[in-house]
Amino acid sequence: MNLFTSFVLLTLLILFTPIMVSNTDPHKNNKYQSYVKNIVFCAFITSLIPAMMYLHTNQETLISNWHWITIQTLKLTLSFKMDYFSLMFMPVALFITWSIMEFSMWYMHSDPYINQFFKYLLLFLITMLILVTANNLFQLFIGWEGVGIMSFLLIGWWFGRTDANTAALQAILYNRIGDIGLLASMAWFLSNMNTWDLQQIFMLNQNPLNFPLMGLVLAAAGKSAQFGLHPWLPSAMEGPTPVSALLHSSTMVVAGIFLLVRFYPLMENNKLIQTVTLCLGAITTLFTAICALTQNDIKKIIAFSTSSQLGLMMVTIGLNQPYLAFLHICTHAFFKAMLFLCSGSIIHNLNNEQDIRKMGGLFKALPFTTTALIIGCLALTGMPFLTGFYSKDPIIEAATSSYTNAWALLLTLTATSLTAVYSTRIIFFALLGQPRFPPSTTINENNPLLINPIKRLLIGSIFAGFILSNSIPPVTTPLMTMPLHLKLTALTMTTLGFIIAFEINLDTQNLKYTHPSNPSKFSTLLGYFPTIMHRLPPHLDLSMSQKLATSLLDLTWLETTLPKTTALIQLKASTLTSNQQGLIKLYFLSFLITITLSMILFNCPE
Amino acid sequence: MTLIHMNVLMAFSMSLVGLLMYRSHLMSALLCLEGMMLSLFVLAALTILNSHFTLANMMPIILLVFAACEAAIGLALLVMVSNTYGTDYVQSLNLLQC
Repeated sequence: MNLFTSFVLLTLLILFTPIMVSNTDPHKNNKYQSYVKNIVFCAFITSLIPAMMYLHTNQETLISNWHWITIQTLKLTLSFKMDYFSLMFMPVALFITWSIMEFSMWYMHSDPYINQFFKYLLLFLITMLILVTANNLFQLFIGWEGVGIMSFLLIGWWFGRTDANTAALQAILYNRIGDIGLLASMAWFLSNMNTWDLQQIFMLNQNPLNFPLMGLVLAAAGKSAQFGLHPWLPSAMEGPTPVSALLHSSTMVVAGIFLLVRFYPLMENNKLIQTVTLCLGAITTLFTAICALTQNDIKKIIAFSTSSQLGLMMVTIGLNQPYLAFLHICTHAFFKAMLFLCSGSIIHNLNNEQDIRKMGGLFKALPFTTTALIIGCLALTGMPFLTGFYSKDPIIEAATSSYTNAWALLLTLTATSLTAVYSTRIIFFALLGQPRFPPSTTINENNPLLINPIKRLLIGSIFAGFILSNSIPPVTTPLMTMPLHLKLTALTMTTLGFIIAFEINLDTQNLKYTHPSNPSKFSTLLGYFPTIMHRLPPHLDLSMSQKLATSLLDLTWLETTLPKTTALIQLKASTLTSNQQGLIKLYFLSFLITITLSMILFNCPE
Repeated sequence: MTLIHMNVLMAFSMSLVGLLMYRSHLMSALLCLEGMMLSLFVLAALTILNSHFTLANMMPIILLVFAACEAAIGLALLVMVSNTYGTDYVQSLNLLQC
């Protein structure tokens, strides 16, 4: 009897400790931050043990703990599913959270509510792990809503700023639209399969599963910012940089993709859903890559890069490769978090300057951050044998060699080259050239709290892909033989993007800035999507519902149709037809005389 | 017919005469209407209970319900007249124009 389940539950339980000391003394002083950071480190080490055991034996586990309630035939328990996905994701998420917490000890140093910040980050981590290890849809929903709430609280951290409040509300609203899909799927599973347990759902694999799977796709589109529900992700950059690094690059936004990856036994037989996800992911990845091309805020470019990679993960699911999508989730987390940390270092060192047009020349001033940024961008674009290569290249290979939608494939390839373009843009504007910031800012990156997290994530960005790919148990056989030009597709597109971007940036460096052209305006204003969709549909909906409720229902059906019409008709009829004078007493007297006379007449003969 | 029946019938005819021959206030006509309804109720209840005619037990109650409705409408009309003319003298109802 090994300690597999004990270590898993210990990992989850360790993380609760700082929350429980919330109202006591440790929460009020400065030690709380190191305490939380060390707790997350301990949880990381503890979670490595079950992960290693799983890699050694390839045995999945299901922990079913506490029976909560049985509603007629539905039994709800507290159950944790320890399979390939959750066991691989937990160490990755804990490692990245540990690094981000150490970073935010430097970044949020002067914030008076820093202890509350750490508590919120920890709560977010706990709900994310609940989502990842959930075995029934109810527990998954708890984690799902939990990450949504923590995202709201953390995006609106500086709530004195209007834009931050708007962005937090936007995140909640868009996630809610996705939640409709999740709730619809849960209702369908409850009424048709009588369960919310994943095991029973996969066993009873019925055939026409379009409705619940479309609901799950909608939920994933809401949480993972696919096209149509995407504007909340760039707006979420109003939150502090650690929040962007943790939530909106590595962990929360992959919750939607994770949901679809969890349900892969249902999706591998359904061609319609695969086509839907493929096309949705392709549109997302290209659209957000186009939007990233002309942004001027460094965090927004990285946010759009995240959105583009999420579209790529969606494409992978559409190609019926859930394991590749999951591998991309894990590797993407490393270099995206590192990119955000580097941008946080740049922002803080330039005295909160986020516009890349006002940066420059940081190559000599911030050497370590520069190194990390360049390696992160290279890993993002899929430079051979860095981390991104081990997940992105197999995805492109699978895409080019499978019987799939050629148009979606073209979009994905274009987005791959655009990835290289905007990465070059970041490197060029932020790091190279002469400085464009005021020279009075003191630039100092010598703090170990800043250097160590980036160093750890740097080592992860370089080696994690290799280590993960060689450790995971093989599940699907990848295609081993393909023509040379297909094998080199990803590399060619990326190199093309790099060369074109670099040449254009160098050539136009000293030209005068003319009026923005129409495509440039399309890209900067995010394709006009927020401008149109945040004003027009709400206005139409609200005015239509007001007209329906007030004018149609109240005024017309309930008031005018019967009561007022009847009164009007009676009025007109009586004024038209009566020609009486009102001699009431005389009339009543005549009634009396008639009644007495008739009573006498008809009673007398008797 | 018994003495009780004749008693109540006398009350009814008294109210009827009072309804048809009132002096100047519309209110007295309404009051006499109420008196007619009341005496009818008592008459019906007595007869039905006396002859154990259980099937018609509902009739006095329904009669009462409708009497209440008609009293409400009568009072509404009274209020309208009073709003227009200030009093409820019947002499002022000689035009009957809406």
